[in-house]
Amino acid sequence: MAKSKTTPDSKKGGVPSPDQWFVPVFLAWLVPGGGHFYFKRWNHGGLLLFSVAGMFLFGLMMRGRMFEPSDGSLFDVIVTYGGFLGDLASGLLYFLATWLGYEQPYLASQVADYGTKFLVCAGLLNVLGMVDAYEIAVGEKP
Amino acid sequence: MFLKLSHLEAALLFAVFTSIVMGIVGRDTDKERLRYGLYCFGCFVAAIFGLSWLMYLGHR
Repeated sequence: MAKSKTTPDSKKGGVPSPDQWFVPVFLAWLVPGGGHFYFKRWNHGGLLLFSVAGMFLFGLMMRGRMFEPSDGSLFDVIVTYGGFLGDLASGLLYFLATWLGYEQPYLASQVADYGTKFLVCAGLLNVLGMVDAYEIAVGEKP
Repeated sequence: MFLKLSHLEAALLFAVFTSIVMGIVGRDTDKERLRYGLYCFGCFVAAIFGLSWLMYLGHR
């Protein structure tokens, strides 16, 4: 079933059509592991979900802070916009946390600092899952 | 709920989650994935202890 949704033609050098990869990549962003679930790769999707959601939840429990884009010096812009994109990459986890009112002021604690990094890194791990779903969708990965 | 972890616990937790994802996306067969995931975890642990000793010796 999974192989029927892949197109080995993309290996020949053509640019893959968004029709091939948009749905699995969108699902992979929305729900960690969603792209793999789409291709019925339940074990891999489950492990991705466990890892990304686990890291995100530990980030919340460590009172990590969500980044908000803000202007200022170039360094501030890079850090806050980059951090915001990292948080946003967690998909539904990020929206659920913000919709349910999660808001954390700055805490002078190394644990909270780790939590902030955990929240961003959960999004970055989800990006890796999205790239993997893309490669499966266009037939670059078996 | 405020989870208070030490530096080592937080870094090891980070290593576990990251190694799982890197194992899945980094290789093509399940056997290779397992080996690569364990390899990544080993590298993380080695880096954690190596950098910790480096910082300890650097601050003496």
